[in-house]
Amino acid sequence: MEQQKKQPDAVPSTDLVGCASIFFTFFRIGLFTLGGGLAMATVMRHELVLKRKWLEDHDFMDAFSLATLVPGVIAVNMAYLQGRRLHGKAGSAVAIIGTILPSFFVILLIALFALPWFSHPVVAAFLRGCAIAVAGQLAFAGFVFGRRHLHTWRNGLVCLAALAVAVVPGVHPVFAVVVAGVLGYFLCVERGREKETNAEEETP
Amino acid sequence: MQMLWQLFKSFALIGLGAYGGGMVTIPLIQHAIVNRHQWLAFDEMASLLAIAQMTPGPIAVNAATFTGFRIAGFAGAATATLAVVLPCILIMVLVAPFMDRIGRNRHVRQAREGVQIGVLSLILYATWSYGSMAIHNLLELAIGLAAFLLLLLFEGRLHPVLVILAGGAAGVLLLG
Repeated sequence: MEQQKKQPDAVPSTDLVGCASIFFTFFRIGLFTLGGGLAMATVMRHELVLKRKWLEDHDFMDAFSLATLVPGVIAVNMAYLQGRRLHGKAGSAVAIIGTILPSFFVILLIALFALPWFSHPVVAAFLRGCAIAVAGQLAFAGFVFGRRHLHTWRNGLVCLAALAVAVVPGVHPVFAVVVAGVLGYFLCVERGREKETNAEEETP
Repeated sequence: MQMLWQLFKSFALIGLGAYGGGMVTIPLIQHAIVNRHQWLAFDEMASLLAIAQMTPGPIAVNAATFTGFRIAGFAGAATATLAVVLPCILIMVLVAPFMDRIGRNRHVRQAREGVQIGVLSLILYATWSYGSMAIHNLLELAIGLAAFLLLLLFEGRLHPVLVILAGGAAGVLLLG
């Protein structure tokens, strides 16, 4: 019988990595990683697990699962969890600051010095082309996500409902996600589990 | 001060809605910055989003820093950047001790699929709402399609930065 009091699962933290090292490592990752949080997560794994061997791979994967499960910037979530494991609360703070600081300064520099150039005709044409490429990116992301998630008519229905919410002008797009989450809780099926649901439906 | 608070609220919401990758933040940013508050014109936001992907750092954070700076200088940049990361930090602080159990929870998994479909719907919506503003004629549509096809062809193996740069090059050659 369970006699022990239920306690939250403690995340064991080691203090073998100093905060300064953590900061500089995450600063480097934050400075040299282009692309989204997923790319950064890959680099973090390379640095922390493979190169420096500060963490085990399963630690990393656990962190990654949670970081992508919870809302928010994935890179920051990852920095928090891994920093925490390396040096507790101080480690998590220092890892986050290290991750964010480089991009903060780079963007400020661009805003200060490059912004006036935006109206230059060649630069403007370049940026316009970039902006159009981003539209292509969005379309591609829609294609990839659609392929992965729209495999049952129920999922399609949830998608339509969420779209209906999103197109209403003035409504903040997050509501579409909330609505989809709620509807999805009742209707949706994870890929690979369709058979289970169908079987349940057939049994009287 | 009022402006800083507005910045804070808007980007906190954007930070909260940033789920499933950086692309979903685009409609959130467009809604808050261009439509609702008119802090930036669409073209400026679009340039910013492109640059935000070509510079280090998550797109949401870069967008926050940039917009905040444009609106309210250094204080604005700091406020917006802090706002966009604060929600997820708070959530992590609360949730991290229960890491294992949350991932395995059946209800969470069930809702997660729905949430991801919500993200999909936003991306589809954004393809239209962003695309229709960024593309003004057939030539530009062709460039957009080319970007899409490039990504499709080299699925997974092409760094998004390269596609954006290619788009920029096409812009200089064809749109200048």
